[in-house]
Amino acid sequence: MEVSLSGVTQRFGAVTALDDVGFRAGRGAIHALVGENGAGKTTLMRVLFGALQPNAGTIELDGKPVHFRNSADAINAGIGMVSQHYSVIPELTCLQNLMLGAEPGWLLSESKAKSRATELAGRMGYSFNWGDSAEGLSPAGKQKLEILKLLWRDAKVMILDEPTAMLSPADSEALYSSLASLAAGGATVIVVTHRLPEVMDHCQTVHVLRGGRNVANSLVAETGSRELAEMIVGHDIDERAVEQSTVGDVLAGVNGVTLKGYRGDDAVEDATFVLRAGEIVGLAGVDGNGQRELFQALLGRQRLSRGSIMFSGEDWTETGPRERIERGLRLIPEDRHLEGVIDEWSLEENAALGLQRLPPFARGLWVDSAGRRDAASRIADRFKTKHGGLRQKMSSLSGGNQQRYVAARALEVAPKLLLAFQPTRGLDIDGTAQVYGAIRQACQQGACALVVSFDLDELLEHCDRVLTIFHGRVQEPPAGLERDRQAIGRMMVGTG
Amino acid sequence: MIDPTLLAASTITLGAPLVLAALGGLTSERSGVMNIGLEGAMLGAACATFVVGMQTQNPWLGLAAALAAAILLMLLHAVLTQAFAIDQIISGMAINAIAAGGTSFLGKAMLDETSLLRAPFLPTQTYWCVAALAVATLAFYLRWTRGGVHLLAVGNDPDKSRQMGLDPVKVRYLALVATGLLCGLSGALICSNSGSFRDNMTAGRGFIALAALIIGGWRPLPTLAACLGFGLIEALQLHLQGTQLAGAAVPTEFWTSLPYLVTLVAMAGLLGKNRAPAGLGKP
Repeated sequence: MEVSLSGVTQRFGAVTALDDVGFRAGRGAIHALVGENGAGKTTLMRVLFGALQPNAGTIELDGKPVHFRNSADAINAGIGMVSQHYSVIPELTCLQNLMLGAEPGWLLSESKAKSRATELAGRMGYSFNWGDSAEGLSPAGKQKLEILKLLWRDAKVMILDEPTAMLSPADSEALYSSLASLAAGGATVIVVTHRLPEVMDHCQTVHVLRGGRNVANSLVAETGSRELAEMIVGHDIDERAVEQSTVGDVLAGVNGVTLKGYRGDDAVEDATFVLRAGEIVGLAGVDGNGQRELFQALLGRQRLSRGSIMFSGEDWTETGPRERIERGLRLIPEDRHLEGVIDEWSLEENAALGLQRLPPFARGLWVDSAGRRDAASRIADRFKTKHGGLRQKMSSLSGGNQQRYVAARALEVAPKLLLAFQPTRGLDIDGTAQVYGAIRQACQQGACALVVSFDLDELLEHCDRVLTIFHGRVQEPPAGLERDRQAIGRMMVGTG
Repeated sequence: MIDPTLLAASTITLGAPLVLAALGGLTSERSGVMNIGLEGAMLGAACATFVVGMQTQNPWLGLAAALAAAILLMLLHAVLTQAFAIDQIISGMAINAIAAGGTSFLGKAMLDETSLLRAPFLPTQTYWCVAALAVATLAFYLRWTRGGVHLLAVGNDPDKSRQMGLDPVKVRYLALVATGLLCGLSGALICSNSGSFRDNMTAGRGFIALAALIIGGWRPLPTLAACLGFGLIEALQLHLQGTQLAGAAVPTEFWTSLPYLVTLVAMAGLLGKNRAPAGLGKP
C-alpha cells in the first residue's frame, strides 16, 4: 500500500511538533525516517497510526484520502505500528498477545489460532511456545512477536519506531533481514531510527525531519552517511579529537569491594580501581554483569559485604547518599523515570531533585525559589533542552530532551565525582557530543567521572581510560592494550 | 462442640455476600480501576432493595432497585475516574460517603413511621447459586473470551492496549457496570440475611471483600476460597462467643475482632507476593 501524508501540522499546547510536513512511502521497500530527538519522527508516525489527530494535514492510502479517529481505524485500514517499548502485555500469553485486538471471534479458539500463529512464525523463521506467558520474552523475542502481530492483523503498512534500540547487533541484523523479506513480499515498511549505519545498510529511501519540518527526502543509494548526518543536525559535524585532561591525584578509590546481588550471590567481587582528578573512566561490559550493583554501592545505597570506598581522603564506606551528595557526588541515572525525575513535577521542581539541600536550591531550611528558577533555566539551556516553559511537567518533554535535562542537572552544581549510567541513552549525535563535552569540562575543573555504557565504541571515543566488568570482576586492560578495541571486547565477555 | 453442618451453613451465609462483592471488585480492579467504593455500592443496594421492596411488596422490584442503585454508584465512580481523572481512591471514598449519608437519610426519612412493614426477599439460596455461577463464569470469561482478555490487557497497560486498537475507557465502563451488578446482588443478600435495613449495615464487608480479592491474587477461584475462609472465621467467631479458651474467659470483643485480625495478618503475609494488575490506578 502506498502511503502519503501532506501538510501535517501538529501542535501540543504552545509547541509546534510538526509544521506542514509531508511524507511518502511506496510498497515493497524499507523507508527510513530519521532526525534528532524531538524532530517529530514519532509524532508523525503516531499521526499516520491514528493515535494523534493533527491540527491540519491529510493522509492518503493508495491515493484515497482517509481519516483516522483512533488507532483502531488505522489498524482496520491496514496500518500497524510497533512502538519503541513494544506493546506486549506481560500478563497475557504469547498467543493472547498475538491476537489482542484482532481476535477472530468472541470465544477464543486456541487450537485454530495456534495453527495460524505457527504458520506465520514459520514463514518468518521464528518459533514460539504460544501458551507461555509473554513476560519471559527477551527484547528480541518481543520484537519478533510484534512483527507476527503485524502479520496476524494483515498489516500492509508496518511502522517500526526505533526497532533496534533494545536489540543486540546480531538481533538487529536478524530483524532487518526479516523486514527485507516482508518488503519483498510487498509490504510498506517504515523504520524510525537515528542509527545511520542501519539506514545506509538496510533502507531504500530516507526522509529527514529537523525541528518538526521536512529537510530532505531521497534514495539511500544517492546519499552518503556524512551528508545525511549533516542534514539531520543542520550544520557541519566537527571531527573531534579526544582532548585529554591533565590527570591529577587519586580522588576516589574503590578497594576490594564485594557486593551481594539481589539473588544473594556476589554481584561484584573484589573490585579495586581508582579515579583520578581530571579523568573520565569508562566501565565497559555487557548488561547485567554487576554494573548496577557497583553503582548503587558508589551512591551509598547498597552496603558493602567487604572492602571500602574512599573519596578525597575520607572513608565513604559507611556514609549515606546525603553526605556523598554534599561532598560532590552527582548522578546521571540509568532509568530516568525510576531514579532521575518525577514525571508529574515541573522542570523547575525537578531541577532540585537530589540537590535540594544545596545552594542555589536551598537557603538554610527554606526552598530558594528564585535560585531554583535560575538554576532550572541554566540546566535547560546547557544542552538546549526543548521545552514549553520551566513550569511545564517533566512528562511534557520528549525522551531525549528529558535525558538532556537530567544530564545537565548532574553537571550544574559543582560536581566532584560524576557517576553516569548510559548518559547518552536516547540521545542523537549532537546531544551525545554535548554531554561528553560537558563531562570533560567538569573534569578539567578537577572532578572525576565514571561512565557505564554497553557501547564500547562510545567509551573508547570519549574516555581517558576504559575498565571492563565481567561476572562482577572489574579489570584494567594490560599495558599496551589500553585502547585496543579487540582486546577490551574479549575482556568484556570473559575471554580476554 | 460445634455442629459442622451448622458451621458450614453459616460459613456460606456469611461468605456469599463477600464472594459477590469480591467478584465485583475483581472486574473493576482487573480493568485497572481501584475500587474501595464496593462498600458504598453494597450499602446503597441494601437500602434500595429494602425501601423499594417494602413499598411495592415485590421481591423482584426490590432486587432491581438494588442492582440499579449499585450500578449507578459504580458508574459515578467510572465517570469521576475516567472522564474527570479524579484519583481513584478519593473517588472511592466519595462513593462511600455518598452511600453512607444517603442511605442513613433515606432510612430515617422512610422507615421510621412504617417500620411495621416488612420487605419480601428472594430466598437466599438463589443468591448462593448466582454467586457460584458468577465465579465459574468469570473464571471462564477471563481465560477464554475476547472480552476477558481485553479486560486483562486494559488493566495491565491501558496505553499499550489503546495502541492495539482497544478502547480502555469503554472496557472500564463495562467492567464497572459488572461491578455494580455484583455489588448490588451482594447488598441485596446482606439485607435479606438480616431481614431489614439498618444504618451502615454492610459494616466494612466491602473492605473485607477487597482483602479477599488481594489474598486471592485477583483471580476468581482463589478469591472464592479467600471469601469462604473469611466466612468461616466469621462463623467461628459467632459460635465461639462466650466460650472459654484454655480455662480462661475470653471477652466477646476478642472474638468479634478475629476476622479483622485475620485480615490484617493475611494481608501482611501476602502483600507483595500476589501481583496486582500492573495498570491499577493508571488513568
